[in-house]
Amino acid sequence: MQNIRAQFPILKRKVNGKPLAYFDNAATTQKPVSVIDALTRFYREANAPVHRSVYSLGVEATERYEEVRTEVQKFINAKHAEEIIFTGGATESLNIVASSFSEAFLKAGDTVLVGDSDHHAVIVPWQAVAEKKKLKLTFIPVADNGVIDLAAYKTLLKTKPKFVALTYISNVLGVINPVKEMTALAHKAGAAVMIDAAQSVAHTPIDVQKLNCDFLAFSGHKMYGPTGVGVLYGKKELLERMPPRTFGGNMIAEVTREKTTYAPLPAKFEAGTPPIAEVIGLGEAIRFIQKIGFKAIQKTEGELTAYALKSFAKIPELSLLGSKNAQNRIPVFSFIMCGVHPHDIATLLDREGISVRAGHHCAEVLHRRFSITASVRASLTFYNTKAEIDRLREALIRTVKKFNG
Amino acid sequence: MDNSDIYREEILSQYRNPQNFGVMKRPSRESYKVNPLCGDGIRLQILLTPKGVVKKVRFSGTGCAISIAAASLLTSWMEGKSLAQLKRLKPESVQKLLGVEVGPARHKCLFLSFEALRDILGV
Repeated sequence: MQNIRAQFPILKRKVNGKPLAYFDNAATTQKPVSVIDALTRFYREANAPVHRSVYSLGVEATERYEEVRTEVQKFINAKHAEEIIFTGGATESLNIVASSFSEAFLKAGDTVLVGDSDHHAVIVPWQAVAEKKKLKLTFIPVADNGVIDLAAYKTLLKTKPKFVALTYISNVLGVINPVKEMTALAHKAGAAVMIDAAQSVAHTPIDVQKLNCDFLAFSGHKMYGPTGVGVLYGKKELLERMPPRTFGGNMIAEVTREKTTYAPLPAKFEAGTPPIAEVIGLGEAIRFIQKIGFKAIQKTEGELTAYALKSFAKIPELSLLGSKNAQNRIPVFSFIMCGVHPHDIATLLDREGISVRAGHHCAEVLHRRFSITASVRASLTFYNTKAEIDRLREALIRTVKKFNG
Repeated sequence: MDNSDIYREEILSQYRNPQNFGVMKRPSRESYKVNPLCGDGIRLQILLTPKGVVKKVRFSGTGCAISIAAASLLTSWMEGKSLAQLKRLKPESVQKLLGVEVGPARHKCLFLSFEALRDILGV
């Protein structure tokens, strides 16, 4: 881990005259030089369309693209490579499931469970689908520590939902939900399960066969990869029965004036020219993560979590949302501060080169649950340091002093 | 841009003790605007004389130092103005009322009360 920062060129830059302390990793992580180089190398040496070329360059690009599918398959331990669909990001993956699953399997009056701590990318597509198909949308509450309320969840399952959307790790609170146990409970109640793994993919190993979820979604850019690429994992037998969402090239078997038949998986869900360079960059990001290893990642991030929690506890005006415990969480922290609005905190921290997020972080329902409109979020990853946390703590104390006099 | 002076004492004191903060019972017109970035909302109410001059103005809601200070200064300016004068107010003038340059990242905050005013005026 010592020389890990050297692999991220952006971490050397200054912001407003101060060294950058980047604490917005839950929104997007920075990119290591290996990923940046893979993108450049692809465009300089290997750029070609995939799947439809006879010439060598196109065949090579196709091979590289399909290799990454196998790498993703291994990364999340999917049973089949064609269960890996490349999308534009987790948001698109989650939208495909809401729209396609509901069309294939749900009817008016069916119940769908989403969660209070879900991201808008989970809640909003299901709200839209529920309105269109007259489904009943019910919210799984979270306990005060931010974890999904298991008792309430079990009660909700008695309503026999057909579909359950779960958040692996809250993008606001950083707490890890017991998704494996929750998936088993949902299956027992007869529901299919989708897991939003956008926040966990860079922090915890994922095994979709162990989780036994029906769908799982994540983005490349939150795991040191490029923007514009994401993954939708779905069980083969379900994806095969679900209709495509985008129509065009690559996703067809045969097109006549009268009728079109669709390609088998995964092409059925990958219409048009995919984000080829980004997929190759994603492959590089996976290799980057695997080289470090989740064991080392979790050790470093666990230390940062404990240190950050200790530092925040020293600021009496700061109230952390959710769990104050270092166990069962990643270093994502949202808080409010007495007398200072989150936006003002973020602006003042930015003057010191510290990048934090202020607002509702695309989780308005969760903020309402805690009776607030906005919070400050500092989301860390293994390349952050204790020295940066010290800078954050000191800057927060100065901010409170400035505002509260 | 160095926006350090957006938190100078004049602005912080407007934030701590905003003018025209409160709710009136029977406004002539009112509007509520939300900043989608943070969920903060400001309610702006005006009471007009029969001739269409602002007799009283109140704002309420939650916001950051920038949005509250801007609303405080904007509402003070509005008092005694005619609807025609209000309609002529430009975004740059709101910036001027605050007396400091606010960067684009905070424009939503700066113009929240101004947007409510535009809504009241139907422009």
